[in-house]
Amino acid sequence: MTSIRRWLLAALLTALAIAGFTSAAATYFSARGEVDALLDEELRQVALSLRDHAVLDLRRLESVGANPDQRVLVQIWDPSFDKPYVSRIVGDGPMPRTPDGYATILHANRPWRVFTLYAGRQLVQVAQPTALRTQLAASTAAQLVLPVLVVLPFLGLAGWWIVGRGLAPLGRLAGAVKERSPNALTPVPTFGLPVEVRPVANALNDLLARLDQSFTLQRRFAADAAHELRTPLTALQLQLQLAERAQTDEDRARAFERLRQGIHRATRLVQQLLTMARLDPDAAAAEPAAVDVGALLASVVEDAQPLAAQRGIALACTGAAPHASVHGVEDALRILFSNLIDNAVRYTPADGRVQASVTCEGDHVVVNVDDSGPGIAADERERVFDRFYRGPDAPAAGTGLGLAIVSQVADMHRGKVAVESSPLGGLRANVRLPKDVSAH
Amino acid sequence: MRILLVEDDPMIGESVVDGLKSEGYAVDWVRDGVQAESAVSATPYALVLLDLGLPRRDGIDVLRTIRERRLDVPVLVMTARDTVRDRIKGLDTGADDYLVKPFDLDELSARVRALMRRAAGRAEPVIERGDLAINPATREVTWRGAAVALSAREYTLLAALAERPGLVLSRAQLEERLYGWNEAVGSNAVEVHIHNVRKKLGDGVLRNVRGLGYTLATERDDAA
Repeated sequence: MTSIRRWLLAALLTALAIAGFTSAAATYFSARGEVDALLDEELRQVALSLRDHAVLDLRRLESVGANPDQRVLVQIWDPSFDKPYVSRIVGDGPMPRTPDGYATILHANRPWRVFTLYAGRQLVQVAQPTALRTQLAASTAAQLVLPVLVVLPFLGLAGWWIVGRGLAPLGRLAGAVKERSPNALTPVPTFGLPVEVRPVANALNDLLARLDQSFTLQRRFAADAAHELRTPLTALQLQLQLAERAQTDEDRARAFERLRQGIHRATRLVQQLLTMARLDPDAAAAEPAAVDVGALLASVVEDAQPLAAQRGIALACTGAAPHASVHGVEDALRILFSNLIDNAVRYTPADGRVQASVTCEGDHVVVNVDDSGPGIAADERERVFDRFYRGPDAPAAGTGLGLAIVSQVADMHRGKVAVESSPLGGLRANVRLPKDVSAH
Repeated sequence: MRILLVEDDPMIGESVVDGLKSEGYAVDWVRDGVQAESAVSATPYALVLLDLGLPRRDGIDVLRTIRERRLDVPVLVMTARDTVRDRIKGLDTGADDYLVKPFDLDELSARVRALMRRAAGRAEPVIERGDLAINPATREVTWRGAAVALSAREYTLLAALAERPGLVLSRAQLEERLYGWNEAVGSNAVEVHIHNVRKKLGDGVLRNVRGLGYTLATERDDAA
């Protein structure tokens, strides 16, 4: 599991270590340069001072033996003698001759820095192991690295604690969110939150608000539904008891017929409630696709012909709109049109007319269902889409949900539905849906 | 007894009317609050059954109006509004009883009887007037210990006169109690029923009070 704290700490400590070691290396090389210059000059000075004295009598100089404490090694070559003077013995033999000036040579398996100059006929060599220089430079650099190394673990601990504190608001935010429950979806407080955590808190609060609204709508729907179910259930209860009380066959038959109608109404209400619950935009199970509105409307009209014929109503579908295509769910749209046509047929008296039409207006598909019935009073046209609203002339088996469902499906498709007066004399139900432009 | 039913649902209304009529009541049925208010002012009802969710005027407002007009008719509220707050509101606005939907038809009948009993100033479930005993729950009538079979109208007529001791009801008042608006009343229907009751219970049971109407004459200490 990735951890911000661990990653931060690892990255910071690594950066610190890299910085530390880089500066140590830089220090080393810079120190080395200086040490080189210093010690090179020392070699030269020693050589010069040797030259400036009288001619060296090699016989009087003796090898002092292998004394490693001596900082420099002096070698003097004299053409009069085979072997050079060596201030101390190093290795198997003398150092080889070197040209004028500075040189770095390998002698006795170690590198040496040598300054060479001529004093008359003699060759003076002053040499020093380079190891010394390395040591000096290294110790200077080490003085820089050591504190860093010592401090690193403390920094690690302190960093651990500091980052922990810095990330604490996230933990508190998580705690605040955990306290929320479906019944208490209040926003989390953003007062005093650090800038980096605030976007998360704001996004969470948006989500909580949407959840709250969704739950509230569902609760209200459930409460409304439960309330509205009482009426059909009451009727069933009474109708059943009357059937039980019936003394004659005729009474009993009549009572059972009423009971049957009551059950039919209750069933219809429950079905419509389920339809509404399933049409909930959050529960959209069907994939939207291109729907040919003209064909769909014609199909719905055809299905409604038997009912229309039974009630003596002339039902027709008009308007050719070959490109009337909507991006949506065909089943839901079918329910929408079916409810409108159903209403029109039920509310129009016998010998009346119902006409369904589809046209394109700009980037909208417009469907009108006109009837020659009594229409709806102007002051009720808004409320008629409310759930469970039933007008004063509502027929017995109405549930008040038909238009609410129509409204819900229209919303689902980002369309609008309204009722107005119809040229046929009754009601016009007008549905505007955005066209599916990708269809052609 | 005449009852006013205020209920907008056709199926519920139809069932309640049928149920109550089969128990001998005369029932008038209105479907909205405005009609309810005018009906209650125009006719003296023994009881009002009031739904609250009504078109045009809410039942609670109708109830308030009834009480403001000092009409002391008993009101039984039948409604789907079932929260405690709703019930308190209904009772405090002046309802005498509050029944939540869905309800049992038999329970409705029993509550109606209870309210009518109280309105008549009687606590005992069985009405006893001398040798006559009437059980409103079972609609059994006992005369001198023996059960008597009466038609629905005959029972209602007898029960109306037995409502209070010494009650005198005119023919018109008896007609009002026996028949609803949409029932045809023959011009001497009441006399026919009086005659039939006298045949079954004996002549002395119903007395004609000249100029006022009819009354029960079953009390032992009744003056001649």
